[in-house]
Amino acid sequence: MTARVTPLLQATGLEKTFRSRGRIVHAVADVSLSVSPGEALGIVGESGCGKTTTARMLLRLEEPSAGRIVFDGTDITHLHGSALRSTRARAQLVFQNPFDALNPRFSIRRSLTEPLRNFGVPASEHRDRIDAVLRRVRLTPPEAWLDRKPHELSGGQLQRVVLARALIPGPRLIVADEPVSMLDVSVRAGILNVLREARDSLGLAAIYISHDLALIRYVCERTMVMYLGRVVEEGPTAELIATPAHPYTRALVAAVPVARVDQDRAALPIRGNLSDTPTAGAGCPFRDRCPHAMARCATETPLLRGIAPGRRVACHLEGAL
Amino acid sequence: MSLLSIRGLTVTYATGAGPLRAVDALDLEVPAGSITGLVGESGCGKSTLGRALMGVLPDRGRIAAGQIVFEGRDILAESERARRALRWRRMAFIPQTAMNALDPVQRLSAQMAEVLIERGGLGRAEAAAQAAALFRLVGLDPARLSAYPHQFSGGMRQRASIALALALSPSLVIADEPVTALDVIVQRQILDVLRELQARLNLAMILVTHDMAVVAYACDRVAVMYAGQVVEAGPVAEVLERPLHPYTMGLTHAFPDVHDSAMALVPIEGSPPSLLNPPAGCRFAARCPFADPRCVAEPPPVRPFGQDHLVACWHAEQAPALRVRAADPQTWAAIA
Repeated sequence: MTARVTPLLQATGLEKTFRSRGRIVHAVADVSLSVSPGEALGIVGESGCGKTTTARMLLRLEEPSAGRIVFDGTDITHLHGSALRSTRARAQLVFQNPFDALNPRFSIRRSLTEPLRNFGVPASEHRDRIDAVLRRVRLTPPEAWLDRKPHELSGGQLQRVVLARALIPGPRLIVADEPVSMLDVSVRAGILNVLREARDSLGLAAIYISHDLALIRYVCERTMVMYLGRVVEEGPTAELIATPAHPYTRALVAAVPVARVDQDRAALPIRGNLSDTPTAGAGCPFRDRCPHAMARCATETPLLRGIAPGRRVACHLEGAL
Repeated sequence: MSLLSIRGLTVTYATGAGPLRAVDALDLEVPAGSITGLVGESGCGKSTLGRALMGVLPDRGRIAAGQIVFEGRDILAESERARRALRWRRMAFIPQTAMNALDPVQRLSAQMAEVLIERGGLGRAEAAAQAAALFRLVGLDPARLSAYPHQFSGGMRQRASIALALALSPSLVIADEPVTALDVIVQRQILDVLRELQARLNLAMILVTHDMAVVAYACDRVAVMYAGQVVEAGPVAEVLERPLHPYTMGLTHAFPDVHDSAMALVPIEGSPPSLLNPPAGCRFAARCPFADPRCVAEPPPVRPFGQDHLVACWHAEQAPALRVRAADPQTWAAIA
């Protein structure tokens, strides 16, 4: 459905390696993705799966060790200095922890003026843009919020200011890393709804990073599942949850708690613990925990292959679970 | 009869602006041999309640009023020493971060031995055998007893802290957000360990959490807390399917369901009241779409309603109609 639209962001073969005790360790290995205007992509996985490192590379907060990132028609893979800064206004990060994302001594007005000034927006436009963005995140009337300081705001209100600050330069892409995990459940819905509306009405491309598949389902049409630095499955979110093709996705879906009386309490289809052994060498990174592992899984790394329209899986069983 | 009866418990914290009533005249019954979820948002007093039961309040906190009757004993009336002995032998605590229960510079075998020998009175050989049995019980390899906590993953550390809590065979275990800091698969595995141990050892457990889905998965009963008080309590199936309090109704629509894309999430607008100076009437009234003048003026008492179900709401009689309205986002949008 989005294949015919020119992607806003396209990443190919991204890698991030570092040295540990003389060995090369892949934090991220061979990740390719694209996201188009108006589309939201979810990246889901557990701590250490490389999802946050991937997001930081996409925003060029980190430089990839290999691969290529094209954003809005420009290759930004190795940009530096002013050339990189000029992309910053168009690609914004929403911080996870609203409690330390804002300068505690700045008023809301100042926190929102700063990015406008940094990106060279004429002062005559500041007030209108600030009013508009505060309305968008539902902090109304704007004049009631402008002179407040962070300590006068609740967590949910702070996160709305953090969102406003990301939206105010007029980005075309937003990347949100666990945007509600620090917030109370009663206010999470409000933030997710603001994010959905902003994407729809502004035609933003969005990438959400989370360990919470239920949250990803609420905001993303398409999802990538990462395990130990690699993409193991991707596809339309609803299909991926209804019929997971990778054994890891299947365990992940089964593990999400649901607030219902009748639910599946069968043991998870997964073995052992997340090992801290890095993904060096050949073989499937999930094989030690996989209930379906075969001899081939230890010797040959499965590649991402298409199994249905829009769906790809990196598993020798190719979805025949 | 309940294993634990909490009556009129009030816990205050000293602040520059006066005493903050984190738990306020709270009543709660915890039956033997079942898991009770204590659910609510940050600042509702759920962790304070758990800590008050265990006698591990921070320095600024104190129990200002009320009674805690545990295994038939009014424990606040007993000496500090008797209370402490009771607390570790009969009642145990699992904190959110396992590192808070474990000593980072001691091998796990030494930590287990310390509890089993010094508090439990076992001999050295007996203690070693018991430590191995406890490790097996929580799904850890006894060979790993010689490890230091940092050599364990988060999930393994949480298992070790459960083993430590169970060392002296308590009848009640209080777990404060035991899975919040963990990834979803590990979270599920730890909940399974807790459920299995509860059944096998016939423990009573209080599971403090902010997550209604965790309650639905692991608990038999639930008490919903709001602003220092229990607003609704009962069997999990009853409270989830027929919530009587508007706050509980709101919580059930506030977060997404992994198997349902059509669901519209409904935020509960506003914030909880200050506990320095709580409102005179129902504490939820300012955020409640169904509040009327009586709710603002008069605090609703906790009263029994239906099967084994308690609620503190003046409008509980209208709950079936309110549940329908609570599912509509427009109902809550009007509050902002």
